[in-house]
Amino acid sequence: MSSLIELGPLQLVVATLLVVAAGVISLVLRLGIGRRLAVAAVRTVIQLGLLGLILERVFALRHPVVIVGILVLMTIFAAREAASRTTKGYRGIMLDAWLAMAVSCFAVGGVVTQMVVGVEPWYEPQYVIPLIGMILGNSLTGIALGLDRFLDHLSTRHAEIELRLAYGASRREALAAPLQDAVRTGMVPIINAMAAAGIVSLPGMMTGQILAGAPPLQAVAYQIVVMFMIAAAVAGGAMLVVLLAGRHFMGADAVLRLDRLGTTK
Amino acid sequence: MEPEIQNSSFLIHNYAMAPFLSAGPFSARNGEGRELFSRVTIDVDEKELVMLDGPSGSGKSTLLRQLVGMVPTSDVTRVLAAETYSGLQLPLWRSKVTLVAQDAPMLAGTVGENLGFPFSQRCGCDRKGDPQRRAELLEAVGLGSIPGDREIGTLSGGERHRLALVRGLLWNPPVLIVDEPLSGLDEDAAVSCFELLVDFAHCTGHALLCVLHDRALGAKADRRIDLVGNHGESPP
Repeated sequence: MSSLIELGPLQLVVATLLVVAAGVISLVLRLGIGRRLAVAAVRTVIQLGLLGLILERVFALRHPVVIVGILVLMTIFAAREAASRTTKGYRGIMLDAWLAMAVSCFAVGGVVTQMVVGVEPWYEPQYVIPLIGMILGNSLTGIALGLDRFLDHLSTRHAEIELRLAYGASRREALAAPLQDAVRTGMVPIINAMAAAGIVSLPGMMTGQILAGAPPLQAVAYQIVVMFMIAAAVAGGAMLVVLLAGRHFMGADAVLRLDRLGTTK
Repeated sequence: MEPEIQNSSFLIHNYAMAPFLSAGPFSARNGEGRELFSRVTIDVDEKELVMLDGPSGSGKSTLLRQLVGMVPTSDVTRVLAAETYSGLQLPLWRSKVTLVAQDAPMLAGTVGENLGFPFSQRCGCDRKGDPQRRAELLEAVGLGSIPGDREIGTLSGGERHRLALVRGLLWNPPVLIVDEPLSGLDEDAAVSCFELLVDFAHCTGHALLCVLHDRALGAKADRRIDLVGNHGESPP
């Protein structure tokens, strides 16, 4: 297998020309996104640069407490991002998003790193951090989509929920339809990604492994594991966050508390 | 023995005197904080058709929603047939004191799903939606030819209201609470629908509380509760 071709500063400068080209297109077509593109490009460089520096240190440290601490921090940032993506909100949305994120990611991540890949030692950062990171990034989307759909369902279709309640529905029965709707919505991206994998798109991780010189079949095996773990994490995370949010809007007395739904957080 | 006998006779006496349905006290304010009604208790006897009256904006719908526990209420007692229902029993209460809400809300789906869903919920699994009764009711409100697989979105406003009424009557709870069931209906349809409500109310083990805009039909109620400036129930 060919070894990795290293990229130096000069190569990065050449790559920068590409994003500048995108900026020129934006200016010529008056898209009005030049500023945002520039900010995003700078953020990419700074955020990834910092991540690289941190990862180098962490990989060198190899201490379980540090690794777990970083993973928890990652879930907090992901939860904040997920909660901020919904158009409606409620008090405690951050905590619900974080709980759902943490439980689904650590459960699925645990199974994958410990039982499927069998990482030794259990906290080996080279495997644990990228794998959990990928789960987080995807379940973030799933949780945000699911939560957004759930809150939207509550506000636009509350008459249907109250109709069920009027005929004696329990909390579970009354919230079943919005729950299905939300989890289904949250799962659409990963189902689409799985259906298109390898035909329409070459998944990022697989591409990366092949670039790094891994045998294609090994890269495929890893990609399959990743796709499945993302599916599980998204389904679990979206379901969990909606269950948590549901408890917020309906207690055991099954009264729909739409007054707790706000447009701002 | 003697105290026991006394005790049981007291209970029977108490049961005979107590109304079939009793709930309250309810209070509400409007959006601006003005008091709509305060400490209203609703009592309805068995086989009684009671009309809740008051100008628009007086809080009639709010009171009905409080009665069935669709909005948060505190320190409210709900009694039906001498049985008290706690806050945690609200689903069971609603299955027995069922609100046919204003504007005839419907589930997205077919006519059949909308008529049948209550019987698939836990509170309704011991009841059966009698297909013959269903056909009779649909016929009586002039929806006899409507197919069960018709999409709800294709119904007119008047058809929805009649369907909502059929659903309530088919569910056949001890007490029906109906909020403006006849809106959007022509005079003939309104009269035949109202007849169904009267028949329901006067059956043993049943009662009905309704809000009606039609004064002439409302006059046929057994009793009227007026919500204007009322801090309690009007005498029969």
